[in-house]
Amino acid sequence: MKVPDERDDVLLRRAAKGDENAFTVLYQRHQASLYRYALRMTGSAWAAEEVVQDVFMTLIRQPKKYDANKGEVGAFLFGITRNRVMKHLDRLPRELSLELQSNSGVSKEPVDLLTPAVWAERRERVEQVRGAVLSLPAEFREAVVLCELEELSYEEAAERSGCPIGTIRSRLHRGRALLMARLELLRDVPRRATAGR
Amino acid sequence: MNCEEFQAFGLDAGTSRIKSAEEAAAADHAGKCAKCAALAESWDAARAELSLFGDATRNAETPARVQMRLLQELRAQKRPVEIYRRGGMIAAWGLAAAAAIFGVVSWQNWRTEQHRLKANKNNPAVSAVGAASQSGDYVIVADEDTGAFTPLPGALPVTSDDGSIYQVRMQRASLGALGLPVNQDGASDWINVDLLVADDGTPQGVRLHEDATESATLQ
Repeated sequence: MKVPDERDDVLLRRAAKGDENAFTVLYQRHQASLYRYALRMTGSAWAAEEVVQDVFMTLIRQPKKYDANKGEVGAFLFGITRNRVMKHLDRLPRELSLELQSNSGVSKEPVDLLTPAVWAERRERVEQVRGAVLSLPAEFREAVVLCELEELSYEEAAERSGCPIGTIRSRLHRGRALLMARLELLRDVPRRATAGR
Repeated sequence: MNCEEFQAFGLDAGTSRIKSAEEAAAADHAGKCAKCAALAESWDAARAELSLFGDATRNAETPARVQMRLLQELRAQKRPVEIYRRGGMIAAWGLAAAAAIFGVVSWQNWRTEQHRLKANKNNPAVSAVGAASQSGDYVIVADEDTGAFTPLPGALPVTSDDGSIYQVRMQRASLGALGLPVNQDGASDWINVDLLVADDGTPQGVRLHEDATESATLQ
């Protein structure tokens, strides 16, 4: 039984029959990218976890929803994830401001040997960037997440978003402009605060 | 490249989304246009900060508990299918067992019937008695020696297994007392008769010996 080398659609068929190994391989292949997308879009580890769980629950309960003629399993899963994320953003537009920073899903472990002060400063800056990204309207945010954070090409980003390349370019352009403005503002706040004393 | 094109393509500098010729043109334009150079500088700073956020979430993965929950769900989904499958198997085995039992019983009945028919074939008297009693058409000839039991009038068909056979010597006229018609010519002859007597003691049939007349004559 060569589960790890199997194609996604074969794994899905086997998982639908209750094959746990097939499901585990399928899950391990896709969970990280889906989780990262959901995390960067929602800014909430809890929400991202719920979204990914919901996506795979759908796969378990309604495996026949996947139509091989319409695309690959990965694209199908991303489509469900995107829908769930957008629903989440529509439902809880203010969740970001209420959520604790400790639940942001951003790694809290220093990746290298930084001094605590530098690490704390960097962490604060990451939180500010996260806040700036999350403050973007969902469409612009998605374009920034896919093109800048996931580093996809315009074609791939357009395919995932289900819109033309021109739309993605336009959204990215506007998203960048807004992001730059917000980050400039955040950079200036401490400066102004210091200057005010 | 003009400012509009720079805003559309120039900010992709350093990525795979822009061709090297376009990148060179964008750099050339930024060298000439202060506004676009400031935009590029601002975007570079933003991208650097964005990459910090990207790096912080680059290795993020779904917590292991999600996989556990999903596997539990998968098992829960699988269980009813297994129950149905097991139920189907049990039903199939039950049907197969019922069919086998039916077959065995039928075969045994057929065998018993065959034995009975074979036994009847070997004992034509009993079959004749049975046939005669069923049709109600008694052909009783006391002086006819068929080697088989002749049922007595009013007697139920009985096989030799159901009663006892007594070998008796009597005058032919005595057959009349059993309800059989007797030829008056030889009424005083002594004959050897096998008398079939049921378990309750009532005579059921008679069978004349082949030498009955002869022995009667001898005596």
